[in-house]
Amino acid sequence: MPPVPPKRALPSKESSLFKEVLNQYETKQHKKGLKTADQILKKFPEHGETLCMKGLILTHMGRREEGLELVKKGVRLDLTSHIVWHVFGLIQKGEKNYEEALKSYTQALRWDKENLNILRDAAHLQTQLRHFDQLVETRHTLLRLRPNLRQNWIGLAVAYHLNGNAVEAKKVLEHYELTLKNVPDYDVEHSEVLLYHVRLLEEVEEFDEALSMLDVNAKSRAIIDRTAIMECRARILSKLKNTDEAEHSWQALIQQNPDNYDYYQGYFSNRGLDLYNITDDTHVKAMQILSDFSTQLPKAAAPRRLALEIAKGDEFKELIESYLLSGIERGIPSLFTDIKLLYKDAFKQETIQSVIESHREKLSSPAPPAPSSESEPPTTYLWTLYFLAQHYSFIGQHDKSLSLLETALSHTPTLPELFMFKARVLKRVGDPYGAARAMDEARLLDLQDRFLNTKTGKYRLRAGLEEEAQDVLGLFTKKDAPSPGADLEDMQSILFLTEDAACHRRNGNLGLALKRYHGLQKVFNEIEDDQYDFHGYSLRRFTINVYLSMIPWADRVRSHTAYVQAAIAASQIYVSLHDDPTLANKSSTANHLTGAEKKAKKKAQKAAAQKVREEAKKALAQTNSDDKGLEPGPQKDDDPDGASLLKATDPLNKAWTFLGPLANLDLKNVDVWLAIYDVSVRQKKFLQAVRALNHVKSLDPENPELHVRLVHLRHTVSSLPQPPPEPIGPVLSESLDKLLSPEVSLETYNSQYLQQHPTSGHAIFASAKVLRLLGATPAEEIDNTVFTMFNPDVQFGVDTGLDVVNFLKSIRSSRVEEFRAAADKKFELSTIFKSSTDIASLRHEAIATVEDAEKADGDKVEVIS
Amino acid sequence: MNIRPARIDDLMGMQACNLQNLPENYTMKYYMYHELTWPQVSFVAEDNGRIVGYILAKMEEEISDGDEPHGHVTSISVLRTYRRLGLAKRLMVQSQEAMATVYRASYVSLHVRKSNRAALALYKDTLGFEVKDIEKKYYADGEDAYAMRLSLKYISGDVC
Repeated sequence: MPPVPPKRALPSKESSLFKEVLNQYETKQHKKGLKTADQILKKFPEHGETLCMKGLILTHMGRREEGLELVKKGVRLDLTSHIVWHVFGLIQKGEKNYEEALKSYTQALRWDKENLNILRDAAHLQTQLRHFDQLVETRHTLLRLRPNLRQNWIGLAVAYHLNGNAVEAKKVLEHYELTLKNVPDYDVEHSEVLLYHVRLLEEVEEFDEALSMLDVNAKSRAIIDRTAIMECRARILSKLKNTDEAEHSWQALIQQNPDNYDYYQGYFSNRGLDLYNITDDTHVKAMQILSDFSTQLPKAAAPRRLALEIAKGDEFKELIESYLLSGIERGIPSLFTDIKLLYKDAFKQETIQSVIESHREKLSSPAPPAPSSESEPPTTYLWTLYFLAQHYSFIGQHDKSLSLLETALSHTPTLPELFMFKARVLKRVGDPYGAARAMDEARLLDLQDRFLNTKTGKYRLRAGLEEEAQDVLGLFTKKDAPSPGADLEDMQSILFLTEDAACHRRNGNLGLALKRYHGLQKVFNEIEDDQYDFHGYSLRRFTINVYLSMIPWADRVRSHTAYVQAAIAASQIYVSLHDDPTLANKSSTANHLTGAEKKAKKKAQKAAAQKVREEAKKALAQTNSDDKGLEPGPQKDDDPDGASLLKATDPLNKAWTFLGPLANLDLKNVDVWLAIYDVSVRQKKFLQAVRALNHVKSLDPENPELHVRLVHLRHTVSSLPQPPPEPIGPVLSESLDKLLSPEVSLETYNSQYLQQHPTSGHAIFASAKVLRLLGATPAEEIDNTVFTMFNPDVQFGVDTGLDVVNFLKSIRSSRVEEFRAAADKKFELSTIFKSSTDIASLRHEAIATVEDAEKADGDKVEVIS
Repeated sequence: MNIRPARIDDLMGMQACNLQNLPENYTMKYYMYHELTWPQVSFVAEDNGRIVGYILAKMEEEISDGDEPHGHVTSISVLRTYRRLGLAKRLMVQSQEAMATVYRASYVSLHVRKSNRAALALYKDTLGFEVKDIEKKYYADGEDAYAMRLSLKYISGDVC
């Protein structure tokens, strides 16, 4: 230990007071601790360690800002004390600022190398930040200091493993096992460690050792997880090419869980067959295996379903007929979803259609059933129609699907599934209002079912009915929450946040849309933070195997579709705000509210005020007593409408907080890279921009939006007052030239693109956008181009049509209405191209009432009180 | 539908399924706590990558005097669109096996809202649970719960 510097040294009275402070902090006697600290500070106001302890205690008592000030001051006054850095690190860790916290801990360790608490926290921070080299060192130190603590051995093994060194990890475990004495029978923790050891042996390809370790310990009952034993055994035996024994193991697994597809795959692979890629040569063998399993395991669904993948010709006909008819008889709602993957084979699709169509014919023919045979229950007819409706909608014949549903509904108006599917078809054809209405009718048939309720909420959001959606969602959310949406947000409902954001965006309320997207971002931040506690916890519980799968999961958690979509949407909004800051004022917030929106706003304000009151009450209740911890509590929401998000001065940086985490995940998603381009090019990060376009090109070289961006990039770069400096400039122009030949003028390039894709509506739209970008004169050229989308051989969907309408609006085209009317005619079943007056009444009709349902069926309605 | 042990990357799908179906909801950390403490006893039903049903289960850590080790079902549900396939039963059976063999659980318990007749019928008639007790005001909104139990004595703890 170095000598105590004079400014830190305290006389013996104060020195023992300081020890008291530490003790009072440990035992959470905050008030007393504060008093004691003040006693010291009265005489030694510049004593860094005491200032830090006081700051730490104040933070625990909820006086965060004041506390932080003192801590910072304390650190400045005694830079070589491990205590001040430890305190600072604790506070930074509480704020989830892991990078800074680790820096502080590293400082603390400089002055106290063997402090166990600091070492442990540092290890957790190093894991959270994936600094695995450092982690190995820290774990080494911990083991050296406390070799008789079991978790320290495991900690080191895991650190090596995370750092990519399975061989060292294995050696650590070997040492560890030698130190063990008298492990009790049926010790789950020990069992997990041994399984981890087996897994390591498998990873370093010592299969014989892995197998014998597994067998010995299974036999002695040191490893007790039966499923894990069997899975490991089957896998290792297969790898050892011990086919017979492996087959036995896979078979045992299938016996134990006959609906686990992984086991069938293992069984097949062990027999040299690829279950998901059966060829003509292996066909007979594969069918035989599945048929044997079907016989052995009459209750299992998997072998029957798998056989449908493989079967061909008449064999398929026979199998599918009994599969479908038994599913329909049992009224299995998921039957169609289950088999629709078979539709990639045209023969199978046709066979399925003809099986069900002839079944329908049989059921609907007027001839009375033979007296001897059992007559089919009437629901069979219903499920047949339900299946067919799904079939026809899936293959694009929505008309036919809807008429089948009408037949079924006139037969039995009380089956929610029929309404649910009707809603789905209407959604597909671009009638969100009719869809919401149909879903509501389903809901009214079973008011106790949250599933139907959630769907109704979602469909209302799709129809732009935000307030009405919250009303219905509120039937199942906590009654004391400030609003249904707030409860769903607290419960991390990704569905609600995504759909509500999109709803606000469609309604032109960009502030609330951003607000919800940030809410979704927060859910993912929370999940990343959640893993922190498990870096220590899992070692204490010895659940190492699952812990090791948590790390890569957390690394990729943002590749979740919902996050990806939110990131794209939010960045698009921020980009549009960057391009046109006046949008912030135009966005339908306070100034342009409709009656319903005003009402909703008032309600929200009232609820928010109520929440603030409650929080104040809670805070008051807490001040007298206890510890608030080091994590900042829920912050007051100063921006319930997202108005300040709209006015952000750095919209592109805000966009990057969404997209940045995706840039390194190597996602195969064109829209992510397009969004990355849109932000990067505006930030003048040209290399990042061009790399993004290279990604798009490799994924989808003819993508219409890529076409727009290529022209945009060339146009942007050539309009720069001077080319970017070396080395960026030359690299940029070289990459750009590879994507888009410099020989051709952009106008020519655009018309060539159009000629190459004459039947794609999206491509035509893209070339119109390019015309706009290049400042086409006369402007009619743009209009004329988009109207060619209505040529009979051109194809595009409802969404693209809607995008064009919005585009025409944004360039103030005089032909918006004309385009809308033409689209309305083209998409017969769609309602989104109706005039605004029509849409107003459609929105009104989108809500079904209890009376409506009672008309349909008087006594089936259960009302939740 | 594929029935298999839950993995860490299933947890978000389980949470989504739960929020869509049931009134009792949990944040992700609670799912992580289950999976990272008792990784063997939770299971999922999966349809081409989508979680359509799950059982989220744990072991009771505080066993009162005279009681035996036992498991507890925190939440079980199957999407409405995947009913009548017997998924709940299959999930429950797998979980019970794991509770009995890994943790030597002698029974499994669960709670259900008194008003939730559909769930009550599932536990009683399909899964064989019995009402053991009524817990007054068990839920945050003041509703009572039935405490239900199913014995696992029929499952042997032997490793094959």
